[in-house]
Amino acid sequence: MGTVASAAADSPAVPRFRSARSWPVVVALALFSLSTILPLLFMAATAFRTQADWDRNKIGLPTTASLGAFERAWTGANIDVYFRNSLIVTLGAVTLSVICATLAGYSFSKISWRLRAPVYYFVLSWIAIPPLLMMVPIYVEMVQLGLLDTYGSVILLYTALNMPFNVYLMTAFFRSLPDELIEAARIDGAGVHRTFLRIMLPLAKPALATLIIFNFLWAWNEFLFALLMLQSDSVKTLTVGVLSLQGRFTTDYPALMAGLLITSLPVVGAYLIFQRHLVRGIVAGTVK
Amino acid sequence: MWGLLYATPAFALVTIFVVYPFGSILYHAFTRWDGIAPAQWVGLHNFRLLLHDPLFLRALRNNLIFALSVPVQLIVPLFVAYAIHRRVPGWRFFRATVFLPAVYATVVIGILTATVLQLDGPLNSALGAVGLDSLQREWLGNARTSIPIILLVVIWTNFGYNVLLYLAGMSAIDPTLEEAARIDGAKWSRVLRHVVVPSLRRVMEIVLVVNTITAFAFMFTYIYTITNGGPGYDTYVSEFYIYNQAFTNQNMGYAAATGVLLVGIVLVIGLVQIRALTREER
Repeated sequence: MGTVASAAADSPAVPRFRSARSWPVVVALALFSLSTILPLLFMAATAFRTQADWDRNKIGLPTTASLGAFERAWTGANIDVYFRNSLIVTLGAVTLSVICATLAGYSFSKISWRLRAPVYYFVLSWIAIPPLLMMVPIYVEMVQLGLLDTYGSVILLYTALNMPFNVYLMTAFFRSLPDELIEAARIDGAGVHRTFLRIMLPLAKPALATLIIFNFLWAWNEFLFALLMLQSDSVKTLTVGVLSLQGRFTTDYPALMAGLLITSLPVVGAYLIFQRHLVRGIVAGTVK
Repeated sequence: MWGLLYATPAFALVTIFVVYPFGSILYHAFTRWDGIAPAQWVGLHNFRLLLHDPLFLRALRNNLIFALSVPVQLIVPLFVAYAIHRRVPGWRFFRATVFLPAVYATVVIGILTATVLQLDGPLNSALGAVGLDSLQREWLGNARTSIPIILLVVIWTNFGYNVLLYLAGMSAIDPTLEEAARIDGAKWSRVLRHVVVPSLRRVMEIVLVVNTITAFAFMFTYIYTITNGGPGYDTYVSEFYIYNQAFTNQNMGYAAATGVLLVGIVLVIGLVQIRALTREER
């Protein structure tokens, strides 16, 4: 259980592959790695080209470093609005997830109350429910609640759909912290809230980082429910809005690639910065 | 009392947006419903229709084809993870990039695939440029090429996630066991088979279940952006069917029944896989 607190250990004792015979493996892995970076390179190379350039030749590097495609996407095709919407929805869902999951995780691990175990398992039991199953009633429910076409619809939904995993993660983390901390705080006269806010929350930073990166990537990239709920241009997120760059008859490909690049850079950047925390979350979800 | 209060927001959100819709779908699967007027109870009628609907059966067959990704995802990432676990040269770099496809939005991957593979797109131009004109074709124009391409894209996207799952499992194995086996002269393949794999049963279960669910319940975005189900109904999948029944035809009850049937199928396949896996280990 301590695996949540300690990182995916780079244990030094594992025997290494260093023999000359490992080169085919290295070449295969390198080729795969190249394929994972290729989309970024292709988007960037095409986005900096001019449309005439693209029409002449589909492969090739930009001859002029033209920023025109970014401008056509950003202001001409509403990508600026979609970007802002993605930011609002993602930050909203991440914030709400952090609040709900830390409170619940703390309650399920460190406060004893009647029905604690059944409520915990009840929340957890929805961890693998495919959301596709529920697209119809969720849509109808949003219409009835008057939330259709608002940020609130997807913020609440994203938070709810990931809640079982988030609660599981935070509960596991708080469980790994010693009870003596709470006991000491209680003796010092701190109440439940004070202990939670001043003692436990600061210690939960590594788990919070995992929670934030997971939910950030998930919410930013979500497509199906955003497509269903967010219908006006003023609330659409990037994953839905970027489709408008695909013309019905002709498509401005450099602008489309600029739009895709703008959609990708925040998540790729977040991944590179928080990579360790993501790996840690996967360890927490697997090794029990 | 504070315990209950602290857990309430999480509990309430799950109840309102996950549990209630789940109950709703179970009920409405047995009704005729347009989403607005009160639903009419029709018993098993929806399910009877479904099982005789050629379009649904075709969609389901396509889902089954996409489930071919499951054995691939069970085996190949295991070897890749083991190479990274054993620190092949460049392992840090490989560990970072292998997950990158899962970081891109599925929409981005889908649009890129459609762009690169269009008739006058970069792939065909590249083939022409190196004199392989005979290989040029409309890649997404018929099921013989489009389905394998989508399958490949799905495998590529989720590959890194499985590698990381295996890596997590391997990092929990006592390294002295592997070292001991190696000192005894065991080849890497024997160490992998007899020391590492037996400790990964739980991870393998997760890999099986997650990738099966993906093949049946997370295909919508790929299909929507790469082929839009076409040409014709060549790449139609069950989620597309639910989506169109619900939002084009307003057959909400029928769509609910499709969802319930699909989850039943996923559950059964998942349980069978786990049973098979645990029996093999015994």
